[in-house]
Amino acid sequence: MQRASKSYPAAYAGQIHANLDGQAMDSWFQAERSVNAIRPGDHAWLAFSGEEERAHIIGDFVYDGLATEEKVVYVTDAPPDRLPGVRPRHGIELRSYTDTRQLRVIPREQACLSGRGRFDPDRMLRTLEREVDAAFDQGFRAVRLTTDFSWVLNEPGRSDLSQMLGCEHQFGEAVSPSTMAMAICQVDKHACPQDELVALRDTHEVLVEVNPEFDDGILRIVRTFEPHGLRVEGELDAARHAVFAEKLSLVTHERRRIHLDFSRLRFIDLGGLNLLAHHATGLPTDDGLVLDHLPADVENVIDMVGWHRLPGLARGQERPFPGAGGMAS
Amino acid sequence: MTLEHRAFMYGELQQLLDTAVPWLREGVERDEKVVVVVRETGMNAVRDVLGPDGKDVEFYPSEVFYKHPVRTLRDYQGIVQDARPHTVRALAEPVWHGQSPRETREWARYESLINVAFEHSGARALCPYDQSVLPQEIIEHARRTHPKFARGEDTLHNDSYVHPKDFGNGCDSMIQLVRPRHAEYRTIESDDLHDIRAFVGERAVGHGLDTTVARTLVTAVNEVATNAVRHGIPPMGLWIWSDDRDLICEIGDNGFWHADPLTGFLPPESALQRGFGLWTVRLLVDLVELKAGWDGTFVRLHVRR
Repeated sequence: MQRASKSYPAAYAGQIHANLDGQAMDSWFQAERSVNAIRPGDHAWLAFSGEEERAHIIGDFVYDGLATEEKVVYVTDAPPDRLPGVRPRHGIELRSYTDTRQLRVIPREQACLSGRGRFDPDRMLRTLEREVDAAFDQGFRAVRLTTDFSWVLNEPGRSDLSQMLGCEHQFGEAVSPSTMAMAICQVDKHACPQDELVALRDTHEVLVEVNPEFDDGILRIVRTFEPHGLRVEGELDAARHAVFAEKLSLVTHERRRIHLDFSRLRFIDLGGLNLLAHHATGLPTDDGLVLDHLPADVENVIDMVGWHRLPGLARGQERPFPGAGGMAS
Repeated sequence: MTLEHRAFMYGELQQLLDTAVPWLREGVERDEKVVVVVRETGMNAVRDVLGPDGKDVEFYPSEVFYKHPVRTLRDYQGIVQDARPHTVRALAEPVWHGQSPRETREWARYESLINVAFEHSGARALCPYDQSVLPQEIIEHARRTHPKFARGEDTLHNDSYVHPKDFGNGCDSMIQLVRPRHAEYRTIESDDLHDIRAFVGERAVGHGLDTTVARTLVTAVNEVATNAVRHGIPPMGLWIWSDDRDLICEIGDNGFWHADPLTGFLPPESALQRGFGLWTVRLLVDLVELKAGWDGTFVRLHVRR
């Protein structure tokens, strides 16, 4: 399994972000990565909030693999043209990729079920090994694996979580040293209790999220799904107002309250505050824009100006812990 | 409803009480919102003489209320807005000691701006000036910034009063911007101001400003620099230097900005109004000086450690 190049193509040189999203974090080694930055050796975790989020992530994962001559393996009972999270894209016929065996859709029974129809972790691991070997023999430079584990968690008469955790652990041990294999384990965020979700998440070194809508190294804009809105990271100044306004419009078409996660915002200029107020007062509903996790320095500016001078802006969730963010640049 | 803005010259505390207390009482009787902002030395006396009539009166020590003219104007505006539909009656005595000439100039400008900021508010303000201790310059300012005088229970017309725009022009003409040779300089090339922010942030922390003050200075510099890029004429640049406890940033361009003397002094209703940016800049830092001439437009921001 050494054929895959050690120097990864540019597509894998994405940014790695430490996880500061305030969720319970037990492991310091976890990295957040956008789906286009997933690389061989990554055993990634996706707890999706709904089909929209999944479609953004898994769709890109699958189509990017197919476009870059990597093998894609999806363990699911769905047919190739209706893979979970993979919406049709113009001009791409998924069935043609199964014909060439670049896309492998393996039903659960064949991939990971025991003779009694129960989830069998050992069988899942053997499937992984088999598919990676096959991809190697076929000459693919990498293989992308994914499956939705939600059903395992909801299996009737399911044993405790340890079986699943053990499986994930072994899965990670198989993928991590690999120069070819990368995997995304999907779970419906609402399918299992929070503590189980956290325990499962922590068996993964990588947390995958959507590709950023914009990233120029200074400002990074990422869509969020629960709550609906954008996460704005870095510095927003006049040079970036236009792109920010455009991305804000992108999430405005639906009749849903927009949350802006500012937890990683290091700077916003006064024009940016003006832009927010302008946008908020033009919204069809009176909901306005909710500013979540405001950094203390930004909140200080708004407090001095007075919230009432920024119509349509509402203070959302508090910052999860003080001090995160700190002095900019 | 027009504003009543009167100065009152006194020499002894008793004179102040004799004029101010009946006037405050009148406000209480008329169900106005009554506010007393006087120096700590006079506060207890006013409170004592008012007695039970003062129970709904708000008291603030001048030493706390008058720290920053732009913020004080904002705070008064907040009081006026919160009081609606009641009108506000304020005994308002600024602090005039321990100031640099620059600060005195800005507080005099503030007194003048009251006439515009609250022009239609129906508010009444009585501003006591202690003639026994205040320098003649301050008394002169008072004559030029108050349309009326109070003497006892009478109100006298003041012929020395000048319109705030003219007074502001006068203040601006006093501004002298001399830059020391050791000032550091950076050119401003575009509205992508990441490097300028990083540079100013570094110098601000190096000067010993706490993080919050450093960040607000960066926000203010960024706003002025953005305006220079948008409306100015190249070359644009930033100078920065320290002068004792002050850190000073000056942004200049080659344009000649004919700014209205009231620009950025009056609190805007909302961020959507013109002038919000400059007003906020004035709010964020300790002092802003603006000088436009044939050699260019220069905006100087002062922050004290």
